[in-house]
Amino acid sequence: MLPSPQASPRLITPAIAIVLLLLATVPFWIERIGLYPYLGVEILIWSIYALGFNLLLGYTGLPSFGHGAYFGIGAYAFGLAQFNIVPNLWVCLLIAIFAAALAGAFVSAFISHRRGIYFALMTIAFGQVFWFISIKWHSITGGEDGLLKIARLPADFGVVQFDLGSSNYALYYFVFAAFAIVLVGLWRLVNSPYGRILQAIRQNETRVTFLGYSVWWFKVSVFTLSAAISGFAGALFAMAQTSAFPDVMSLHHSGYIVMMTLVGGGLVSFWGPVIGVFAFLLTRDLIGALTTAWMFWFGLFFVLIMLFKPEGIAGLVRDLRNGFIARFCTPSPAPVRDPGS
Amino acid sequence: MLLDLLPHLVNGLTLGLLFALVALGFMLIVGLMEQINLAHGSLFALGAYFALVIVGGERSLSPWIGDAWYTLPIAVRYAVALVVAPALVAVIGMGVEVLMRRTYGKDPLFGLLLTFGIALVIEEAIRGIWSTRDYVLQTPAGISGGFIFNDLIWSTYRFYAAGFAAVAIGLVWLFIEKTPYGAVIKAGAHDNEMVRALGINLSRLRLFVFAFGTLLAAVAGIILAPIWGIRPHMGVDAVVPAFLVIVLGGIGSFWGAVIASLLCGMLVGLTGAYASEWSLLSIYLLLILVTTVRARGLFGKKSLLEN
Amino acid sequence: MALFEASGLHMRFGQRVVLERVDLAVEEHQFVGIIGPNGAGKTTCFNVLTGRYRPSRGTITFAGENITNLSPQAIARKGIARSFQIMNLFDEYSARDNVIQAMPEMRAMSWKVGHAVAQDRFLDEAAEEVLDGVGLAARAGVRAKDLSYGDRRALEIAVALASRPRVLFLDEPTSGLGASGRARLRELLLRLKGKLTIVMIEHDLALLFSLADRVSVIQWGQVIAKGSPDELRGDPWVQRSNLGKLQ
Repeated sequence: MLPSPQASPRLITPAIAIVLLLLATVPFWIERIGLYPYLGVEILIWSIYALGFNLLLGYTGLPSFGHGAYFGIGAYAFGLAQFNIVPNLWVCLLIAIFAAALAGAFVSAFISHRRGIYFALMTIAFGQVFWFISIKWHSITGGEDGLLKIARLPADFGVVQFDLGSSNYALYYFVFAAFAIVLVGLWRLVNSPYGRILQAIRQNETRVTFLGYSVWWFKVSVFTLSAAISGFAGALFAMAQTSAFPDVMSLHHSGYIVMMTLVGGGLVSFWGPVIGVFAFLLTRDLIGALTTAWMFWFGLFFVLIMLFKPEGIAGLVRDLRNGFIARFCTPSPAPVRDPGS
Repeated sequence: MLLDLLPHLVNGLTLGLLFALVALGFMLIVGLMEQINLAHGSLFALGAYFALVIVGGERSLSPWIGDAWYTLPIAVRYAVALVVAPALVAVIGMGVEVLMRRTYGKDPLFGLLLTFGIALVIEEAIRGIWSTRDYVLQTPAGISGGFIFNDLIWSTYRFYAAGFAAVAIGLVWLFIEKTPYGAVIKAGAHDNEMVRALGINLSRLRLFVFAFGTLLAAVAGIILAPIWGIRPHMGVDAVVPAFLVIVLGGIGSFWGAVIASLLCGMLVGLTGAYASEWSLLSIYLLLILVTTVRARGLFGKKSLLEN
Repeated sequence: MALFEASGLHMRFGQRVVLERVDLAVEEHQFVGIIGPNGAGKTTCFNVLTGRYRPSRGTITFAGENITNLSPQAIARKGIARSFQIMNLFDEYSARDNVIQAMPEMRAMSWKVGHAVAQDRFLDEAAEEVLDGVGLAARAGVRAKDLSYGDRRALEIAVALASRPRVLFLDEPTSGLGASGRARLRELLLRLKGKLTIVMIEHDLALLFSLADRVSVIQWGQVIAKGSPDELRGDPWVQRSNLGKLQ
């Protein structure tokens, strides 16, 4: 399913380089194709979220249906840190990541001895608990009104400072840098021994146990990491939107990330989640211009994908490519291994 | 002191009985399929929304039904809603079963993801058609309003709801225990290979159980609507007790499911007395507690869900 | 002192007693067989011995150390490997990757999150050796789920062997295999015999009796007879179950 372990050992594959190069130039051509720079920011932030999420679902096989909680905790923590501790970008980001990671560690400690349905149920339950708290704890979170006036703090590198609030371009490149780091880091992670163990756990947890691995620790660690990355995305989101609302933590929103990731092909490809984010946000903007029920159509598309092609868009692309190879490339047998995608 | 708790206990009992309706339908489906249907809650919600359309209250809700319908007395409209809405939901429930056929035999994760997707689609459809605002389901005058007894204000509706739910549970029990169809369903819930070996058409059985189970959920949704209000999101809260029931009591025990549901209801009712804002949260906390502590439920039987 | 020893094992599931006063002693490099009718408790016995279940009573020692209450992963780390009757493979992985995952070197690298494991050629080479030993070298790159049943059985054993265990537990390895599959397995086991300590559950008595040094018979959760194959040929249960096939 996912890229065979014999994938490229390089830190930056051609695919990664091309994608990063393309994304680096987005602000220059995005308006020419009728879109807008802020969309680029959104795509990158959600991609970070989705990549972190897929570590859990696609790679380890753990269905987290309440993942919005960690995204939301990151968002709220960023805002609260900014208001109550110190309005320093790096400190606030770190606090957000840490808060989300802590929540993730806490939850996974409770549920990592399970998998499948029980695991999913528990993630829903915890997600709802966090959501309830964000709505009811008015004094801290602002309740349903949310946390407002979150500032886009300046990115101060000591020698040079970037004001992220003045233009969407500066913000874009900051988020782009964050995305690049997460992308490369995760690519290396999933191709490491740790990454292989995650995939082994997905395929056969029993066997992994009997090979001498403490599966519980792997599940807890990957859940915590996934939550941390989601929290990071949440913090960036809060900064971009200059606000944090409880609805990102709802079951409904948690469903979005599941759908995006799977539609894109997260079950079979490292890039699946990113593809899914593109599909989702483009549907929102393009189909959304035609009808307010765009979300319904996307959901329907998701159901169809799960019924007929659970491998998602990435899977379809792969089929086309293999079909192409089989028909037009002479005698080489269909590759068993599919490195680097 | 204790007397003050009485209305809350009655609330709890009412909730518990309604949770039991949802849980029973849910349990029958799970028992037969070895798969959890995460869309069950959305069908509960759909029941309430369909009833809303039939009973009416705002013309804009119902472009499908002529204005003449709404001049009928509300009691008539309500009675019709109680019959027609669950029937419609049952049809949709059968549709869900058909969709799920592709996932039988595959990794259970697919069934989970699929029903999650279906639940989302249904909720999106609800949001699209009815928007996210809260609605109120009007009820006939005979069962609405309140009365005073022993210096406390009681809601007439709660008693009606509790009574109706109790009768419904009784009917379900009769059906399962006393009719041949019920026997087959029970058998299927325990061992569906055996049922197949006996020559019973398993796919037709599944369709029927889905229809029956979702019908119960829809009925519960209609009865619960005046208490909880109607909003797109209402299904999740109703179905968590059903999960709890499965975890606590395993699959296959009728009274186990009822008792566990009553427990949940009472928990919500009682927390409602002290911290009403957080009362629904209590069932989630209970689910977390129970699933952490006890894998096999109170009765020690291995759940079909363990994989 | 026996390398692996279980004494007084007693296992209960709720009210049901599944194992009663089971004793087992395995000397180093010995080949021990476990036979008995279906449902007798043989696999449960394995599950207890490899840590999947905790016995209600009794002790298990390995190389003098009490391992009774250890988790399955802890027991595996001590050098005890097992195969499963219902196979437990990594279906999406190739045969080679299945074996690599089992190797102790991989386990040692578990938490190296920045290390590109694909560049570790020595893993591939070691895996090829193991696969060669079970006759799967030619199909090393084939995905486990695409292998034939016989090859999957071989892979199941290869995975157990890849962890370089001191004791190997095999649960009905010939299950579902035809004559050639059995012959291949027998060859492999002959090669391993004497070099590895093996405990094997089997229904194919002819095969087992030709390999085992000692055999225990389990029925209704109890060891009802034990001894060398020759001694057991006279046992009434053995005779009843496989009349004429044991020669």
